[in-house]
Amino acid sequence: MGRLSRRSLLAWLGSGAAGLALGGQARAQVPPHAATPLPSFTGPGANPYWNGVNPFVSYPQKLPLLRMTDRGIQLETSRPYFLSPFTPNAAFYVRYHLELIPNAVDLSTWRLSLEGNVERPLQLSFDELVKNFKAVSVAAVNQCSGNSRSRFQPRVPGAQWGNGAMGNARWTGVRLRELLASAGIKSVTVQLQFQGLDRGPGPEGKGADAVMKSLDLTDPALDDALVAYLMNDEPLPMLNGFPIRLIVPGKFGVYWIKHLTWIRALTSEDTNYWMATAYHIPDTPKGTTTPAEAASGTLKTVPIGHVRMPVRSFIVVPDGSSKLPSGLPVRVQGIAFSGDGPVAKVEFSEDDGRSWVEATLGTDHGPYSFRTWEHTWRPSRAGKHVIAVRASDAKGNVQPDAPVWNPGGYLWNRVERQALIVGTAS
Amino acid sequence: MTGNRCLGIVLLAAAGALAPGSTALSQATKVPGLVQEGNYDPGNLGMQMQPAPQNGDAGAVYAVGPWPTYTPPLADGEGRELVQSFCGICHSTTYITMQPPLTSATWEAAVNKMIGTFGAPIPEPSAQAIIAYLKSHYTPETRKE
Repeated sequence: MGRLSRRSLLAWLGSGAAGLALGGQARAQVPPHAATPLPSFTGPGANPYWNGVNPFVSYPQKLPLLRMTDRGIQLETSRPYFLSPFTPNAAFYVRYHLELIPNAVDLSTWRLSLEGNVERPLQLSFDELVKNFKAVSVAAVNQCSGNSRSRFQPRVPGAQWGNGAMGNARWTGVRLRELLASAGIKSVTVQLQFQGLDRGPGPEGKGADAVMKSLDLTDPALDDALVAYLMNDEPLPMLNGFPIRLIVPGKFGVYWIKHLTWIRALTSEDTNYWMATAYHIPDTPKGTTTPAEAASGTLKTVPIGHVRMPVRSFIVVPDGSSKLPSGLPVRVQGIAFSGDGPVAKVEFSEDDGRSWVEATLGTDHGPYSFRTWEHTWRPSRAGKHVIAVRASDAKGNVQPDAPVWNPGGYLWNRVERQALIVGTAS
Repeated sequence: MTGNRCLGIVLLAAAGALAPGSTALSQATKVPGLVQEGNYDPGNLGMQMQPAPQNGDAGAVYAVGPWPTYTPPLADGEGRELVQSFCGICHSTTYITMQPPLTSATWEAAVNKMIGTFGAPIPEPSAQAIIAYLKSHYTPETRKE
């Protein structure tokens, strides 16, 4: 920078020139080393931390991630990785339901089957998928249905995610509709069922045997769906679904079947546990209800695949782990997305959500992608501040400032806040 | 850890700040702006092993080796071994410790769901002992760690 007066330094930082100068180069931020580790659990109150309170652990093909569970494997992505619009494969979260997760796959014997109510059952090798079909790419967010479940009050059982059960990648593969056309879906097909290599030790027909998810053949989300063999232009990590994964832009991650191996055309609605019972949401506005109503047994529910992911936005930095010296502008950065995308607007609040100003949006990578945003904030005084962010999508959905509640812990999309301490500088 | 702590004291001593019998913390305040130094955490927070590279096999098998486990201990008490052996058929007990404190009714429902919906082969007396253990250690009233 050379010699800069204090005044010109502030102008330079505040102008956005800092962002231009460092854009794309210095993108990682890590919190200071923990002087005191987080507690080993939170509750019965809401988890107050951005991520879940789990320790960093090491897994094959992965950077250190936050261990939710270790058999089956559930790993949460830590906050700093969300500074960039695309989540590195090595940092992408992992969520399995059952414990028999492949450690090795033999592509000489593995085949993708299209079967059931089809004209021509297909058995496609990895090589045939790559070579015989047109490659298509889409940037799309994969988010767990239960992302942020640890915010629920009262708390509900399930994976106690903070905000890190999500990630955005550029997925490349074959259009699902093209594969379906090759097999020839016969009339009276109502749903397509998807199943991967991962399974559990439970008895056949029970929930701990295998996870199968189905979507209506007429669901418009299938028009955008891919069978992906590349993730951010690299092969998928084993824990994210090697060799191929179903990509359903706009829908929650539970439908994005990993290690995809069977696609079945069904002539009646899927009644397996993972469709008939699990991952159901109240059939109410925003999928919210009360503990009393849920306990009454009269609540009508639908599979979470009936909705798209509601609009969300996040503050990534500053993360509150360091005190901010007063007098310096603060570059607030984050991401936003909507399953009903694209994101239309992101608003920033310096006063705990009482007033809002529009933030600056980053590059548009497509309607299903993370959209980065930033805002230069000039704190007016030393002391505690609570900043907030909310996003709106092109369909007119605005993030609410009211919590959702349902017994599954799904669909959280409340306005996000970050408490910050600004210290005196003299 | 002793060596690390000594390093901090040596640095302070070199700065002429160490008086016999005093702690590193209080002495550090004599250096302008310095509040604390020579403080090392004796735990292993952040320690990670590095994986070895793949061998030279160019075949069609893509392998990543075994999945590591990181299972924290369960609270000590009657019924713990039943929990480890029956619940552990399908999942590690990290599924228990990662939960927030849950009510007795919620734990009972969870165990019954494992048996009824997921097919866990747990005989009735053992199921009752497992529920009793979870109530004794993992409710808002009883959870300690």
